[in-house]
Amino acid sequence: MVTINRPMFDPQEFDTFGCHPFENDPSTPDRIARQVYVERQVSSWNVNMKDGSQLQFWGFKDPTISGSDSPWPSKIIRVKQGQIFHCMFKPSKGAHTIHWHGIEPTPMNDGVGHTSFEVKSSYTYQWCAHQAGTYLYHCHKNTVLHFEMGMYGVLIIDPVTKSPDTNNPNYLYDPLPGDSAPGITAGAPYSAESILVFDDVDPRWHTLDHNAGMCGDDVGLDKFNPKYFLINGVHNGRTQTDAKTVTKATAGWNVMLRIANASYSRLHVTLPFNCYIVEVDGRPLRTNPAKGWFSSPKYMAAGSKLEVGVAQRYAIWVPKIAAGSHSITGNFHHWITNNKHADGTAIAKINAA
Amino acid sequence: MRRREFIKYGSALAAFTTASMSLPSLLSAQIAEEVPTGEEADFDLEIVDVDVELIDGSTVPMYAFCHAGQTPTIPGPILRVKQGSTVRIDVRNSSTRSHGFQIMGQDAAITAIAPHEGDGEDKIRIEFTATRPGSYLYVDGDNAPINRVLGLYGAFIVEPTNGFADAARQKPMPYAPAAATPAIKSLFSALGEATIGGQPARFPGKAWRPGREYIWIFNQIDPVLCRRIAAGENPTASEFQAQFHPRYFTINGLCGLDSAHDKATCPTGRVGEPALIRTMNAGLATHSPHIHGNHVFVLTESNNNGVPVYQESLNEHDVWTMQPMKTKDVLLPFTAPPDVPPAPWRMVQEKYPLRYPMHCHNEISQTSAGGSYPMGLVTDWHIDGPL
Ligand SMILES: [Cu+2]
Ligand SMILES: [Cu+2]
Repeated sequence: MVTINRPMFDPQEFDTFGCHPFENDPSTPDRIARQVYVERQVSSWNVNMKDGSQLQFWGFKDPTISGSDSPWPSKIIRVKQGQIFHCMFKPSKGAHTIHWHGIEPTPMNDGVGHTSFEVKSSYTYQWCAHQAGTYLYHCHKNTVLHFEMGMYGVLIIDPVTKSPDTNNPNYLYDPLPGDSAPGITAGAPYSAESILVFDDVDPRWHTLDHNAGMCGDDVGLDKFNPKYFLINGVHNGRTQTDAKTVTKATAGWNVMLRIANASYSRLHVTLPFNCYIVEVDGRPLRTNPAKGWFSSPKYMAAGSKLEVGVAQRYAIWVPKIAAGSHSITGNFHHWITNNKHADGTAIAKINAA
Repeated sequence: MRRREFIKYGSALAAFTTASMSLPSLLSAQIAEEVPTGEEADFDLEIVDVDVELIDGSTVPMYAFCHAGQTPTIPGPILRVKQGSTVRIDVRNSSTRSHGFQIMGQDAAITAIAPHEGDGEDKIRIEFTATRPGSYLYVDGDNAPINRVLGLYGAFIVEPTNGFADAARQKPMPYAPAAATPAIKSLFSALGEATIGGQPARFPGKAWRPGREYIWIFNQIDPVLCRRIAAGENPTASEFQAQFHPRYFTINGLCGLDSAHDKATCPTGRVGEPALIRTMNAGLATHSPHIHGNHVFVLTESNNNGVPVYQESLNEHDVWTMQPMKTKDVLLPFTAPPDVPPAPWRMVQEKYPLRYPMHCHNEISQTSAGGSYPMGLVTDWHIDGPL
């Protein structure tokens, strides 16, 4: 029988690609004066799960704020489009990185070990977001484990301008002359905002070590059996009442719903109101050929289903939300069988009055 | 000479999904695209049993396609034809098992080729007219999904005969102008324009040119099932699906460092050299390919029959979902990474080439044999130099 062999490779390169990624503490190349500055450090703590058990989580804390050591998801970062951003990152308990998911900076500021370096003790990331929208930030070290351990947060790039509509003063993005976005008000102005990050947790993974599996040992990272299902770190028994997952809105005004999937499941979301998808992955849906944009908002009638891929983000604009309690239902399905996981439903609320 | 009857299929034989699709969308895929041009494309394929060496040095028994008599590969050889060509594919089965051959979304399928059938005078041949330009998966559709997931898949590419978004301005595109959407034509017309309306434009550099493309086919390997089947077991499709527990996650048959190093897999070029990437998922897992450095424009998405649907809205994604049997053409614009500070800032201390990864964000797929991050479904892409 014929054997299809692996290509030739350099064992040393194999080692730095996987087992021993390059660790360093360089100064930021081509550093310039910043307009926004944040700090992040790594912390770990225990989280109480739905059944009363406790699991270890890791995350990014803001060392300038006391009492912020148990942030899961990690604290949201909001900056304005066009600002020069610096984040001083000091990992501990081994090397980590921050990848600014959806932001596209130089490789040194992209936070990926095998294409640049992992941070040993300190590094200042630098970038300048050119487009308002919905992003994430997360650790990109042994990512399979560190992302599951909770090392992620929401990153929102806000536009520069404000909407003239005093009821709905916030824009999702700055509308520009020449934009066409059929069906919506340009810029998708809103008053209330609901930000929902869906996640699932396999308790076995939370007993693993920082570098688990990296040097070829079988630590079972091919077996993911999620038992807990959460939104914004709130377990699905409380998501319909917890302030982190229930948003208050004014009936008749517009709402912005941002959804991200931080799980390892297929996430099927049911939208309870007539609405529009107005942004995907940090890119507003609009056509403006002079700018190189060729997309359009998508209308979603009440009851529509939306599959949010792992690590995708969607911004959904709800014009003139009706009075009432609206349930945003997320169903977590197995990534291979597409069968719904046991207890794999989590529901967030928008209460409009 | 005995010619096996062609097996034609519509929605009935495309058995990989039970979801239905509306008649108008089926018909829209067929508008004025089946006119034979008189061009011919002939292929002679062979199916063989192989052992495949994985990233950790272990081997698993699988199946593979090859051009008859040549070295087998997983995925199989790329079959590239022009729209309207009469395509003839001879298939011989040198495997110990019975096999079939099917091109999803084209009028081409054949089933139950017995071992050693078709390797003499007695050709097993399918013949059809290539329709709608785009990217298609070809598979062994028999015993679905088992034979496919065990290695029998590849890319069938239909190129337009006159694919111009704007012929006068020499703006090629990989689709036919009569069927492409206005948004696709606008995008390909904008590529290579330094200015639009007197203002600096988004895509200075070169227009897209035919051949500036990459193919990424994803799959997953369950070594236990591979070995059990090679040892003679015959699980049913539902048993296979229920027991499928992949431990290796491949892009073009490769993992981790191997795919990052593979010239055919790792896109390279300078700023202003946009590349088409034809992405396909032959496996059973739903992948979420995530690219760093640039977003991609999703140009086409296959419908439930495997026919590419040209997108009316070209959404830009850094993560695009790839359900089983899905094909999506995406355009990687090769612009300067957009979130570095704007001029007058200059990149001096950091040097080209700029290296970025593309990896599936369902990170389970970033492992092999239960660990070894990132030796899974990942590759790199490089921006070799400025405009
Ligand atoms: Cu990410
Ligand atoms: Cu990544």
